[in-house]
Amino acid sequence: MSAATESAPIFEAEALMGIATDLFETMVDGEPGHLTLWWGEPPELEDSRFTWVDIQGQPATRVLLAASRETGEQLTRALLALPEGSAVGDEDFADAVGEVANVVGGNIKSMVPDGGALTLPSVAHAAPDAPGAIAIIDTYLSWRGAPLHVSLWALP
Amino acid sequence: MKALVIDDSRVMRRIVTGILRGVGFDTVEAGDGKEALERLTEHPDVALCCIDWNMPVMTGFEFVVEARKRQEWRDITLMMVTTEGEQGQIVRALAAGAHEYVIKPFTPEIIVDKLELLGLVGARA
Amino acid sequence: MTLTAESFDFVATLVRRRSAIQLGVGKEYLVESRLSPLARSAGVADVDAYVHALRRDVTLHDQVVEALTTNETSWFRDLTPFTALRSTVLPELAAAGRTQVRVWSAACSSGQEAYSIAMTVADEFPQLTASITATDLSEQMLVQGRAGRYSQLEVNRGLPAIMLVKHFQRQGATFEISPALRRGVTFRSHNLLDAPPPGGPFDVIFLRNVLIYFDVATKREVLSRVRSVLAPGGTLFLGAAETTIGIDDSWQRIPSAGASVYRTHEKRAA
Ligand SMILES: C[S@@+](CC[C@H](N)C(=O)[O-])C[C@H]1O[C@@H](n2cnc3c(N)ncnc32)[C@H](O)[C@@H]1O
Ligand SMILES: [Mg+2]
Repeated sequence: MSAATESAPIFEAEALMGIATDLFETMVDGEPGHLTLWWGEPPELEDSRFTWVDIQGQPATRVLLAASRETGEQLTRALLALPEGSAVGDEDFADAVGEVANVVGGNIKSMVPDGGALTLPSVAHAAPDAPGAIAIIDTYLSWRGAPLHVSLWALP
Repeated sequence: MKALVIDDSRVMRRIVTGILRGVGFDTVEAGDGKEALERLTEHPDVALCCIDWNMPVMTGFEFVVEARKRQEWRDITLMMVTTEGEQGQIVRALAAGAHEYVIKPFTPEIIVDKLELLGLVGARA
Repeated sequence: MTLTAESFDFVATLVRRRSAIQLGVGKEYLVESRLSPLARSAGVADVDAYVHALRRDVTLHDQVVEALTTNETSWFRDLTPFTALRSTVLPELAAAGRTQVRVWSAACSSGQEAYSIAMTVADEFPQLTASITATDLSEQMLVQGRAGRYSQLEVNRGLPAIMLVKHFQRQGATFEISPALRRGVTFRSHNLLDAPPPGGPFDVIFLRNVLIYFDVATKREVLSRVRSVLAPGGTLFLGAAETTIGIDDSWQRIPSAGASVYRTHEKRAA
């Protein structure tokens, strides 16, 4: 059983950035240039929301995204082509950010060896409890100037 | 021509539906594989299904297996539209009876080019 | 906008002279957006300052021309040429007892066209060996073509799923085309304004979605050079929006289910 840890997925922040860039360029913004790495101090997220999917495998991996409610709403409007400033309901919100996690998670799963099944996305006001989880990637992206926290965890 | 768009994400259904309508399809939607089987029974004139893989209740893969068992649905074109991008998964879906496969994320051109390959829309000159 | 009219003219003239690509009025935005990454990595203030540097340093010219090419392409683009290849052109060559076909994919961009031809031959005409010469003036495109490595978005675009699993191997974020197919395609740096590349005479020439960038005189010259390396009875494919009509009447359009297919008029000497 312990031998499995040797083949822990080696996944680079650069590859994650590539996945996110493709997704935002094609389906969120429809053009390049709005998503970059976050430069400088890790920002504070206000009124954050969390969404995640797990890649069941050896070891299991969790893809966790966090952003402020405000940024999540912007993302939802972009994906649903809603007018700037229009109200975003909880259902649309969960659906949109959850699908972002699903696409990012699935793309990661395709790149790691022995990726198993992908769980359906969860969306919550707090990060899921995961004692013993080890961060593989922990990075901030900037989407149109707003921070997005992206992290990848090896689950115990 | 009528298409059934199967995805548990409404956002994704909207995007796919928008692209299909843009090239002349009428669309119906389903949020999981089981609902999709019901829609197909109600709409026997569906010519194309765009099928997500990961969904609650019944996955897109299970849907393809079920749909392929039914003689009366033999002529329906089945296209996976999913974030599952391993070659092994593509092989599984094709072996189960899917005709084409699009990996998320995608652009409208990607979907339309696949429909051209499938002979469902005319090649653009 | 930091680009002055003089700077735009300088770039347009340079690009026209080197590639025949026409950058007319209204393309200022294109020049600005394509050159600003170059300006940034050169560490100069803006595109105009970069153009000033260009005036003094000819070693920068290649990358400017390259930056102003449009490299959009996809697998089996427009489909109809590949249908014609499969249903008439290759069967005719095979029926004539040929075992080798020589193909030129001119202005090949990142190589999807050349490999689409290679896959068609490999999958459906095992009795034929294709030797494909793929050329472009963009070094960057040739590097990608030679590596045969494509992103997920690129393999999603026009490539039948069955071919993706059959001919490609995933390597992390990219998909790599099989060594067997790669061996059949030779990528070469070539400018369509120069003499044709070696590897001919060619049975089939793909020259698609590049004449549109040229003026009529250049189109005529390019078509005449292409004619000089087309084997007797050989086939030329142009892009869907391109034609020889009104440019070079030594070509004849062959009716072929929507594809832009041309052959030279047969003037049989014997
Ligand atoms: C739009 S792409 C076409 C690619 C492919 N033939 C297709 O149809 O999909 C045009 C290509 O022409 C190349 N090109 C432009 N001017 C050229 C020239 N003078 N000589 C050679 N290649 C040229 C560009 O670098 C670019 O890759
Ligand atoms: Mg889903």
